[in-house]
Amino acid sequence: MADEQRDGSLPLARILFPKIGALPLGTLLTKALRDLAKRQPNLFDRLGEHKSACFFVDPTDLSFAFLVVPDGERSLVRVVGKSETSSAAVFISGPILMLLGLLDGSLDGDALFFRRIVSIGGRTEAVLALRNAIDDAELRPADLLGLHGALGRLADNAILGSLRAARRLACRGLDQGERS
Amino acid sequence: MELICPAGTPATLRAAVVAGADAVYCGFRNETNARNFPGLNFSTAELAEGVRFAHDHGKKVLVAINTFAQPGRVDLWHKAVDEAAQCGADAVIAADLAVLDHAANCHPGLRLHLSVQAAASTPEAVKFYVDAFRVRRVVLPRVLSVQEIAALNRMIDVETEAFVFGGLCVMVEGRCYLSSYATGKSPNLSGVCSPPEHVTYEDDAEGTAARLAGFTIDRYAQSQPTGYPTLCKGRFTAGGKTSYLFEDPVSLNAGGVLAGLKAAGVTALKIEGRQRGKAYVTEVVRAFRRAVDAVEAGGDAAEIDRILAGMSEGGRQTEGAYKKTWR
Repeated sequence: MADEQRDGSLPLARILFPKIGALPLGTLLTKALRDLAKRQPNLFDRLGEHKSACFFVDPTDLSFAFLVVPDGERSLVRVVGKSETSSAAVFISGPILMLLGLLDGSLDGDALFFRRIVSIGGRTEAVLALRNAIDDAELRPADLLGLHGALGRLADNAILGSLRAARRLACRGLDQGERS
Repeated sequence: MELICPAGTPATLRAAVVAGADAVYCGFRNETNARNFPGLNFSTAELAEGVRFAHDHGKKVLVAINTFAQPGRVDLWHKAVDEAAQCGADAVIAADLAVLDHAANCHPGLRLHLSVQAAASTPEAVKFYVDAFRVRRVVLPRVLSVQEIAALNRMIDVETEAFVFGGLCVMVEGRCYLSSYATGKSPNLSGVCSPPEHVTYEDDAEGTAARLAGFTIDRYAQSQPTGYPTLCKGRFTAGGKTSYLFEDPVSLNAGGVLAGLKAAGVTALKIEGRQRGKAYVTEVVRAFRRAVDAVEAGGDAAEIDRILAGMSEGGRQTEGAYKKTWR
């Protein structure tokens, strides 16, 4: 088994996402977050004072990272290099599939932390506030894409189904890595 | 036996109900409950909505107001009891005498459960709370063996609730000062053990160092499982030996003694973890729902250890005081 599969990552992620990283991903995600805040303003309440914190989110199996300020309609997402950490107050790192699992609520953050799959640094209280806000938000891909009705359901089923399948593969690698 | 499940947010409450909880326990967004962490807990409106959802599904909501009221600020705890009653909560879980007294006097119809924080483990202590405040259920401290619970139940006339999964505290419940010593905040008065604003993780050449208010409480290599950053689960050097002096980072899993707890007369089984997310609650509640149903039908709770190993602190599980294997 390749080393990269033993930490919950998949080679597929590395092949696929650098190409996406070349797109204006930060601009698209900024717009998606701000639109989401317009539709569901209460979504960001649980962040409290931490909504203005700058989160450095580092998918360890990708070549780039994200700087995120989850401040409602003033939210900001930037795609940055791995070393661009100077403005960040909070650091979260882990394989992209595991981070997406936290975003859609299908994985437990504490369990990933206990197993050292996800690491955190900086202001721990802001990490907790973000985790709890996301967990309560019950975000679906359609929410971020701004899709509704049948189209939204189609997007949710396709994206979440693909993520579940990819995660099953990654977790199988992880379990085998822990047993070896 | 009833299955009592944790919820730190409205979404988790709904997940617990759907996964098979008989009752869900939760708290308000302040220091009146022992999981006062950022982004966690319920507003009054969210609690009212959560109670409606649970009742629509034939389930109950218990509100934990289980910290000890601070001198001069007891009104905050009284208000929490009043609001829980107004929201239609099925019971309040409390430990403080002033909180219990207020609930018993001002809301005589509101069911009272004695929190684990009260550490009532003798028939005399239990009878005091029953006689003084009409407590209907006692959440047992995690220091009793199954045999000791059976003996206690024979001597009292009130329901008992036992923890079956999740975090463990090694200290006498409600009387731990470790977090308070290091940070000035404690689970007993502030509702928070190892407050996150005092917790840091730093990577260096030797691995990751976990610190609480400047105290290095553990250091672990990249692949080593870890637990919560509490002093009781830190590794320290004493007598030339480095070890977990107080308690290993490990989760309670009493899946193997459910039949024993039933035979001991326990009414309800509690899952710890209001600070955990929906995924934890869903998986643990589902596993225990199946296990409890199997035990109630005369079977056993096979495989629950394997199913829940991935959710455990430090990647390890124990039956703790229920078996007292160290004796």
